[in-house]
Amino acid sequence: MVKIEDLKRINMLKQVPDHLLEILSQEAQLNIYGTNTQLFAVGDTLKTFYLMIMGQVALKVALTENIDVILDNLQSGRSFGSSALIEGAIASYTAVCQEPCEVITLQGSRMLALFEANPELAYHLMTGVAGQYKRTMDKRARMIMKTLEEHPELRQHINDINELTPVY
Amino acid sequence: MVEIKDLKKINFMSGLSDEILEQIVSVAQMETFGEETTLIRQDQTQNLIYMLVSGRIFLNCRTSGAKVLTLDELVPGQTFGVSALLDNSPATYTAICAEECTLITLSSAQLLQLFKTDYRTGYEMMQRVVEKFKIRMNRHTSQFLESLANHPDVKGVA
Repeated sequence: MVKIEDLKRINMLKQVPDHLLEILSQEAQLNIYGTNTQLFAVGDTLKTFYLMIMGQVALKVALTENIDVILDNLQSGRSFGSSALIEGAIASYTAVCQEPCEVITLQGSRMLALFEANPELAYHLMTGVAGQYKRTMDKRARMIMKTLEEHPELRQHINDINELTPVY
Repeated sequence: MVEIKDLKKINFMSGLSDEILEQIVSVAQMETFGEETTLIRQDQTQNLIYMLVSGRIFLNCRTSGAKVLTLDELVPGQTFGVSALLDNSPATYTAICAEECTLITLSSAQLLQLFKTDYRTGYEMMQRVVEKFKIRMNRHTSQFLESLANHPDVKGVA
């Protein structure tokens, strides 16, 4: 169990009403992880949703055998592993603590059961996750556009540039 | 007037129950726009979700260096502007009708109001948004890595 005040520090939960945070606080656990702890790796089935209270977690993928790319360095208020809230989701990056971290965790299977029983909670959390994905998508799209602008010749390596747009 | 059968032709709506579609129809409008009408302007906030019924739409993006890139040409059945459901962040592209277009439009404010009166529908719709966004986000990551792997500075190191 964690305090509601701790949950309110998480960006994606800022719009969630108190009575729902109360439910989440009963399910949540506070964990401390040491530097270099790997929370999950690319290809793992995600079972846990992580909410950062303190510290720094790097999200990375291997570019080549010798080069890892850090996609993001997450700090207090950020969350990751939200795919655990979608059944059977696989991690697309590796998450590693860069320093000692204080992290709230929610078990995916338990949350999915709660979603069935409480659609209001489900709606608010899914809205939070969608917003988080949108911000990440926009950020990545801007990075790609900037790279393509500086090096137009790279466009030939991206054969599905239309997928930069949010069209479904 | 929009009917359930119209929504069923939209990819984003496929698989949703008739019960949910009936609710969405109640806030949907069918509109026709002339050639060269700008539906969404880059960097401006948006408050409508668009579903293309007939016609063609170009999605353009102006880069920070003021170059305009056409990213996509939309065909009937496709949906855009879904982000209007989330926040007031500005659009990342401009949407222009390449010819006369008929679209189903949904007001994000009305849809969000609907979700708050029926959270189960809201959950199902948001879950759909999350799944679509996740696939797209992973694709963005791959595109970014592809461009990075071929970047002259990285090639020099690898």
